[in-house]
Amino acid sequence: MLDATDKLVLKEVAGLEDIPKGAYNIRKNGKLLGREVSANINIESNEKGDGIIIDIKPGTKNESVHIPVILSQAGLHDVVYNTFIVGENADVTIIAGCGIHCGGKESEGHSGIHEFKIKAGAKVKYVEKHIALGKGTGRRILNPTTKVFMEKNSQIEMELTQLGGVDEARRVNDAVVGEGATLIITERVMTDGDQIADSKNEIELAGTGSKANIVARSVIKGNSSQDFFVNLTAKAKCYGHIECDAIIMDNGINQTVPALRALHPDAELTHEASIGKIANDQLMKLMSLGLDYDAAVNRIIQGFLR
Amino acid sequence: MLQLQNVTFKVPDSDVKTKLPLQKTIVNDVSFTFERGGFYAITGPNGSGKTSLAKLIMGINELSSGKIVFDGQDISPLSIHERSNAGIVYGFQHPARFKGTTFRDLLSIAAGTDDEETLARIIARVGVCSMSFLDKPVDSKLSGGEIKKIELATVIARNPKVAIYDEPDTGIDLWTIGPMVELLKREQKEHNTTTIVVSHNKAFLEAADTLLLVRKGRIAYSGDLKGAMPMLEDLSVCTFNEPCQGENDARCYR
Repeated sequence: MLDATDKLVLKEVAGLEDIPKGAYNIRKNGKLLGREVSANINIESNEKGDGIIIDIKPGTKNESVHIPVILSQAGLHDVVYNTFIVGENADVTIIAGCGIHCGGKESEGHSGIHEFKIKAGAKVKYVEKHIALGKGTGRRILNPTTKVFMEKNSQIEMELTQLGGVDEARRVNDAVVGEGATLIITERVMTDGDQIADSKNEIELAGTGSKANIVARSVIKGNSSQDFFVNLTAKAKCYGHIECDAIIMDNGINQTVPALRALHPDAELTHEASIGKIANDQLMKLMSLGLDYDAAVNRIIQGFLR
Repeated sequence: MLQLQNVTFKVPDSDVKTKLPLQKTIVNDVSFTFERGGFYAITGPNGSGKTSLAKLIMGINELSSGKIVFDGQDISPLSIHERSNAGIVYGFQHPARFKGTTFRDLLSIAAGTDDEETLARIIARVGVCSMSFLDKPVDSKLSGGEIKKIELATVIARNPKVAIYDEPDTGIDLWTIGPMVELLKREQKEHNTTTIVVSHNKAFLEAADTLLLVRKGRIAYSGDLKGAMPMLEDLSVCTFNEPCQGENDARCYR
């Protein structure tokens, strides 16, 4: 069922050596490659047939669902709309991600629109990894969108990672955080060559006691460019923090724009942002421990993107 | 075994009045030999060149002239990591803070292994930091004292022939300074580590076999603490009374 390329891509994006246990939906070149549901997690195609609905029963604990996408067909630009409904007090891990294997001259792309409806008290860990492999020269394009709607006291921790090979990525993250709910986003992006990546985040702290922590770590190598925008809007007594750091190497360029808007007098919003080269004192420290310059740079980047 | 031969370090500067570029001498023609297994304290007023001298040994500052010979080899052209691999390690006065890198990462790099038991043995040997430190990111959330303890551990984990500690007691609580001095003395004795501590702290000055008093970029005195006392006491008397104008218009120039 899985060829060598599929296995390679699955390993990179979802850490899978083979077909996963539990619920999964594997999409390859715009078509269903395999699906399994569990007693608590149902997956079915949506009415339009352009995506899936993942329905997680209330109270589901310690289960995971894998929904990786493989793209290896030259010229294909796949668009998919997935909806996640996470029932009350469930506690689950969702592992998504897209791997492009480009073997030719034509471009390949995937746009995944993921909508999350997180019910009261539910807790979600969402891990999304994007990567592009292969020796082809076609552009590899990944445009992910997440839309998150959080009910009372729910929590989502989103780990969004793109560490190489993607020529063009335009990400959109929107979230509405309800009463007592907590949103944690950690975005890690590394670009090289002439790659471009931008990330636009619209986060609304709508409910009393809601919290958001947005962390972005960018490494910009070669002639690549990355832009990161966050609008964090507070409409209630809440707490929000943005932390975005970019390390520029070679001739990379970066825009980092964290914006805070307090529309409620009891909102507490903070941000910190930095753009710069690897700090000299960090390099000195690692070199004083015996690493040469290149090894020191690698270790610093590894830690930064962890 | 570690010889400084006519070591000079100059930095670009400019004349205050004319703004013309000139060079400022920070370390001025210093010659000294550190013997294997000795415990040395480098002290002196602020801005006298203590840290610059220590950084010259590690290769963090580049020599303007002179030579540094270590175990018979001229290490002057060697980079920081080459000197580290030759057995010289430096504990920074203001240790670097990272994002994402943990104490475990630094200790693993220093020890050359990520083996849990080995790391635990190093932590036990150092004594001043606990196992709970291991997975802490070495970032701005650490207190000044915590990061200095981590710094100390990473130096010791290298099993250095020459360990240089630049003001190791900065930010350290009073109750840890004693054990820290004992630790450095133990390392000196058990591993025959040549220990060089840049410090103003009496505890380190008393622990040293040899004290180097640095003034205006030169070694003004080397010997035991007793012999240095008259000079140290002299330094404690303000010599800037005239420009400061004393009680009438107090502006400290020290």
